[in-house]
Amino acid sequence: MHERLSFHIKRESTLHNLNPLTKLTLVFSLLLTGFLSKWYWMPHLLTLLAILPLSFVGKVSREFFWTALRLILPAAGFLFIMQAFFQPVGDTIIFEFHFLNITQESLMFAFRNATRIIVMVSAFTLFLLTTHPSELMSDLSRRGLPGQFSYVIISTLQILPQIIAKAQTIIAAQRSRGLDTESSFLKRAGSVVPLVGPLVFGSLAEVEERAIAIEARGFTSKKEKTSLSEIPDEPFDKAARWVFITLAIISISFNFWLP
Amino acid sequence: MLEKIKNNFNTQAWVLIPIAVAINIAVGQIVLVLKLPVYLDSIGTVLVAVLCGPWAGALTGALSNIIWGIAIDPGAFPWWPVAAMIGYMAGRMAQWGFFKSWWKVVVTGFVVALTAAIVSTPIGVYLFGGITASGSSFITAYLLQTGTGVWEAVFSTNFLVEPVDKITTAMIAFAIVLGLPKRTIGGYPKPEQVEVEGGANKNQLYIAIGVVVLLVLFAAFMLQRILGG
Repeated sequence: MHERLSFHIKRESTLHNLNPLTKLTLVFSLLLTGFLSKWYWMPHLLTLLAILPLSFVGKVSREFFWTALRLILPAAGFLFIMQAFFQPVGDTIIFEFHFLNITQESLMFAFRNATRIIVMVSAFTLFLLTTHPSELMSDLSRRGLPGQFSYVIISTLQILPQIIAKAQTIIAAQRSRGLDTESSFLKRAGSVVPLVGPLVFGSLAEVEERAIAIEARGFTSKKEKTSLSEIPDEPFDKAARWVFITLAIISISFNFWLP
Repeated sequence: MLEKIKNNFNTQAWVLIPIAVAINIAVGQIVLVLKLPVYLDSIGTVLVAVLCGPWAGALTGALSNIIWGIAIDPGAFPWWPVAAMIGYMAGRMAQWGFFKSWWKVVVTGFVVALTAAIVSTPIGVYLFGGITASGSSFITAYLLQTGTGVWEAVFSTNFLVEPVDKITTAMIAFAIVLGLPKRTIGGYPKPEQVEVEGGANKNQLYIAIGVVVLLVLFAAFMLQRILGG
């Protein structure tokens, strides 16, 4: 479980200073290109030529590599192994072990899938490392996203660590009372109720109070709201967004020329 | 349409959604600790869906997966449409009156499971070529090895795995609703959807649990047949 929910690291860099929407556009263009390009090496090259250099531009390369090692590579690696062994495509067998066999085609297939996943996850990781969630939400609500959405996302990120801590307290407390969480299947199934019950009822009890509190602060007021912090949106950002979108469209339309 | 979506949300609903997302994730983690063959990570989604309506449920589901992806396991991210559909379908079933007694809740769970299986099949096939990094993929892998088509293999795996999980989820959510004070329920947009019929008596509960056990046995039987033949 995570001790810290926000990946964000406060630093001064070009990537940090970009408008959040620009970065989001960049992430989605990378994603679309990575997944929709028919060219086999595209996701691979995107990771090497776009995402890795960007992590240096954003001055978060150390944290990025750490996340990649701990989170992205294990997931992608497992997917790669599963796919390489079990995907029944192709007949050029490279490796055989009883009923398991790896063919050249399944290896290629697995590699492409794994690199696609790496592109997707690492692009998002980079985005989260350089953007604070509340920055993104206040920029989006300035552009017309209803304030309620930003409330939901920001407060989820705030509540989640509290509730996970509460869950761990409940597990520890019930164990100290002798609740069986380790032996037979039926006993473990039986301990769902004493663990989930207190957690859910305890958390739901807060709902009404919170609702009254935010209602009193004009949560549903129709008046236009002002923001304490202004998120910059330079002409450079607008230009960059168009460049990203155009590049994504170009790379996807190249598919028509590929056999 | 817009009005219908809007009436799913009042202030209390907006406050419930983040808590429900957190409940989804925390309960998912508890179940991981208990090493049970279910996920139960949509209890919060189902709760929001029945108390507030399908659109609120869909939003909760989608957000849960997005935030799960951000915070814990990036692999959860592409499945957000599945979670959204689970919330939407649970809300619709509640709207049609299928969240008022134990056996109806079992039906809701089953329908939700079927929806989840249908929605997750194309994602699994297009994004991962059928085999994902989850444990149930061993079944898919086996089916693929025996020459079953990729769509059928992925769908049968999902259909075997989902019902038990979603019926249990729906039943736990129902038990929670039964335990909530009437006054609290009244503050949500759709309190009439969970007015309990027939006092939710013990017999109904036993019948419902019996149905779940039968389903588990059926799934085990099917699994054996698939793996044996």
